[in-house]
Amino acid sequence: MQANLRIRRYNPESNQKPWWGEYSLNDVNPNDSVLDLLHRVKWEQDGTLTLRRSCAHGVCGSDAMRINGANALACKTLVARLKRSESDQSVKVQVEPILGLPVLKDLIVDMEPFFDHYRSVMPYFMNDSAVPNDGRERLQTQEDRARFDDTTKCILCAACTTSCPSFWANGKYVGPAAIVQAHRFIFDTRDEAAEERLNILNEQFGVWRCRTAFNCTNACPREIEVTKAIAEVKMALTSGTV
Amino acid sequence: MATTRPVQISTKQRFERMAYMFMRMSGISLLFLAVGHVMIQLVINDVHNLDLTFVANQWNDWGWKAYDMLLLTFAVAHGYNGLRNVLEDYIHNEGLMRAINFVLAVFVVATIVWSAVAIASFDAELIHQVMGS
Repeated sequence: MQANLRIRRYNPESNQKPWWGEYSLNDVNPNDSVLDLLHRVKWEQDGTLTLRRSCAHGVCGSDAMRINGANALACKTLVARLKRSESDQSVKVQVEPILGLPVLKDLIVDMEPFFDHYRSVMPYFMNDSAVPNDGRERLQTQEDRARFDDTTKCILCAACTTSCPSFWANGKYVGPAAIVQAHRFIFDTRDEAAEERLNILNEQFGVWRCRTAFNCTNACPREIEVTKAIAEVKMALTSGTV
Repeated sequence: MATTRPVQISTKQRFERMAYMFMRMSGISLLFLAVGHVMIQLVINDVHNLDLTFVANQWNDWGWKAYDMLLLTFAVAHGYNGLRNVLEDYIHNEGLMRAINFVLAVFVVATIVWSAVAIASFDAELIHQVMGS
């Protein structure tokens, strides 16, 4: 099978504006991932193509990009899942950097604004009370653990935040990923800083900026129900109960 | 059964939360009020009979006046708050946005008060006399 790639390119060291690079690859296997195709372009055709990736197995969250108009991890997007030509002999793949963050080069964006929002919700366990008498872990029931199980799966790839129209419109919005991270600790019965996090998310650019577009849920490569998690945080803020 | 705990939410940043709740509640209310209004005016009563006499008959009753005032208040406040949300997405200058919010608030209050006064002071008897009905 043939793959025709259209890749958004940008080199800050040249005076050129961003442009579309077009590349054709032969002998593409339906089980190849988009990351495999990008590797082939970089290794066989144009070594200047710049992208971020690490584990290539959907765990590290490094290679989130906009593939055929929707955010996804390049390593988890198989050619077999992409729309093929009528003759079934070729596939078109358009790859762009994720939106809403400054592009540094080609498919690499500056993730610092994203991580600033992440850090703002204090995404770490906070409990100043004495450790249990046996000196071991703080226990909780299976039901209590289940409340935040979904949001523990986040790999911080930014696919959700950079698919959010509210974030595109205003980068001050804390974004779905940070709310997911806050949710993971707010609903943990062992953590004692739920109020602090909720008060942060209650601010002007907090959780109320969510317009329930559901783009985040569609984009999440870990299939986290992001919009549901955001709704649970909103419910906690309105009911005063977690 | 999962454990639940009460949390103390700061009252300093209350506006966005209240606005969010208002949009949900007014949205549901408007669904019934606006659909009810359309059904009564255009479906149950023939659209060809919808004239000033019909309005006079309806506004002769304070219940209908209250219904229309509620519809007016929710529709105007809901619409302007939606506009505020859209504008805040695109206007990032805080001073300009504060000024726009002030103007929008004035428009909301003025529109509701002006229209409510018009509904409340509506003289059905006078209309009947003029229309000869």
